[in-house]
Amino acid sequence: MASGAVAAHGFGWRLWALVPLLILVGAVSLLASSGDSLFDLLGRNPPPVDEFDVRRVEFRPGEIKIRVTNPQREDLEIATVTVDDAVVPFSIDGDSTLGRLRSATIVVPYDWVEDEPILVGVTSSSGIETTQEIAAAVETPEPSGKRFLGFALIGFLVGILPVALGLAWLPSLRRVSPEWLAGFMALTAGLLTFLGLEALSEAFALQAALPGGLGGTGLILLGFASTYLALSLLGRLFGKGATVSGLALATLVAIGIGLHNLGEGLAIGTSFALGELALGTFFVIGFMVHNITEGLGIATPIADRERVSFGRLTVLALIAGAPTIPGAWIGGFVTNDLLGVLFFAGAAGAAFEVVTEVGRYVRERAPGGLASPYAIGGFLTGIAVMYVTGLLI
Amino acid sequence: MAKFTRKQLVVGTLPVVAAAPLAKLAWPSAAQGGQPLAVHEGHEHPRVGHAAMIGNQVPTPGGPNALDALLIPPPVLPHEPGRVREYKLTALDRTIEVAQGVEFNAWTYNGTVPGPIIRATEDDLLRVSFVNGGKHPHTIHFHGIHPANMDGVFEIVPPGGKLTYEFPARPYGMHLYHCHATPLKKHIHKGLYGAFIIDPPKPRKPARELVMVMNGYDTDGDNTNNFYTVNGIAFYYAKYPIRVQKGELVRIYLANLTEFDLINSFHLHGEFFRYYPTGSTDHFEYTDTVMLCQGERGILEIEFANTGRFMFHAHQTEFAELGWMGFFEVE
Repeated sequence: MASGAVAAHGFGWRLWALVPLLILVGAVSLLASSGDSLFDLLGRNPPPVDEFDVRRVEFRPGEIKIRVTNPQREDLEIATVTVDDAVVPFSIDGDSTLGRLRSATIVVPYDWVEDEPILVGVTSSSGIETTQEIAAAVETPEPSGKRFLGFALIGFLVGILPVALGLAWLPSLRRVSPEWLAGFMALTAGLLTFLGLEALSEAFALQAALPGGLGGTGLILLGFASTYLALSLLGRLFGKGATVSGLALATLVAIGIGLHNLGEGLAIGTSFALGELALGTFFVIGFMVHNITEGLGIATPIADRERVSFGRLTVLALIAGAPTIPGAWIGGFVTNDLLGVLFFAGAAGAAFEVVTEVGRYVRERAPGGLASPYAIGGFLTGIAVMYVTGLLI
Repeated sequence: MAKFTRKQLVVGTLPVVAAAPLAKLAWPSAAQGGQPLAVHEGHEHPRVGHAAMIGNQVPTPGGPNALDALLIPPPVLPHEPGRVREYKLTALDRTIEVAQGVEFNAWTYNGTVPGPIIRATEDDLLRVSFVNGGKHPHTIHFHGIHPANMDGVFEIVPPGGKLTYEFPARPYGMHLYHCHATPLKKHIHKGLYGAFIIDPPKPRKPARELVMVMNGYDTDGDNTNNFYTVNGIAFYYAKYPIRVQKGELVRIYLANLTEFDLINSFHLHGEFFRYYPTGSTDHFEYTDTVMLCQGERGILEIEFANTGRFMFHAHQTEFAELGWMGFFEVE
């Protein structure tokens, strides 16, 4: 009897929780059915922006393909298309009127000039022209096994290989004094802070270029918080106490770096796909040098006491380096700025979480804690090393 | 997407030369210099040059005779000093289709851009009743010789207002009219202008007469033109070539009312013409290309020696490819 009353009471409480939602639905439908009369009270509604989101421009022999999306609430109509400020004939796969977030591919027969910059424009029915400049027109290869392999190879070269090389510093690290080891730990924190900040600024830059309808800075917070909190949870699962063990910390560092490399792979793949990189070997070499320090960062936490098997080291190298490969695939074949924002924000969240973990580790285990000259010097050196090697890219 | 703005390309030498052979593995094709694209062979599509766009390939709105009222002037009347010539012009805000699928919120005289052709013979008494049916104050400013209070500069006509302009038509020549309310740039680029022909007392030789008003449209409000036209619709005469007879005298009354760009021009393929600047004297130039600033106008006289299709367009190629081009079909 008593328990039944409690259950009924509990049920009623749940019903009450629905009331605000029901009222909201009512209010929304009332507002929607009233048309623009509310806005008439406030003055006229501004006209829609009528800008397209140019997602991708592909070059094939004798033709240009322009993928556009409607980022706004109102329908958007593709009226005319220009290439280098000249109206050109075109065809569309599908409807010329795009509903919200609908995409279409515009195909323009065009004799484009290899390696020269080109400006494509899509004009809506209201006359607003959205333009996209391509730094150099280069034939977009069809997705093929060879290309797939090519991206994997790039991912291997800039991701896995340097991380593995960095890990090879492990035997040397084992011989350094605890003070110096603390310094290297702080160096890890420094380079992760650098990577985190870099990823964050990349996320902001990408987000700023997104059309307004696709979300604001909150998107970055979502990506950032997701990985930060996920890694915190993971850290608690790994370590039983307040701080994590060396191997667990190395795993966290590897995950943080791996997420960063996912974003890095995405950026590399996209830039290749869009012909934005004045490629060459410089670029890959730069990334290799830049990323070798990441391996050092993973090696440091496991240098103090535990013996770590070769298999585990391989796994750590893969966690940190391998995500570059799927990142390059996604960037090279899909290209999605929205995904890019989330990836980079996620990478930043992960990096800062790991910095927190490393900081805690240094504070509790290193001689002299966070304020030791080794820790301070190491942290600053980590940032400086990333900056200097970053100049190579 | 990411342009690596932070990570600018390296300046300087590389410390890690050893890595180069590895990196080269990544781009076998880049190392070969991208040779597959040097020649584009086997096109699925025809090459697209401006000469190729004609007929139904041309993206342009409107039907076959949609612009006749703006192309063909009213008939010339004999010289009768003091005869009254009456026109009614109403300023109307209209959304017009200026290029395929592109709408432009225009300010018009009588609903079209350019406005109607006004024609009189020298010494006619021109009487133009103007009603402002738009949302902004407007005027009509005529080029030519007239009293100061008929100049359409100080006598601003408010929305709903009326004013009758009355003055003797002179001097003979090709003229134009446009709104002179401020901001002037806005009132002109929105579409308030038209051709104004005054015929000489001694009639010109009979001819196939055409009017062409060159203009541009800034459809996205950035003070640069997105489209260029003659008589108001981009590429119109590319889709519907103007048919003329071989050997007949073709007379074109040409005016430039393009805003934002400093000049516009007219170039004819395969033929020369006599160009009478402003058309108020017998002075002419024999050429195939003329350049006009805004407000400049003149009369072209052509006799085609050959049959076939001849292009005419602005010799600012950008204007041509943004709509200011067409064809004569000489039969």
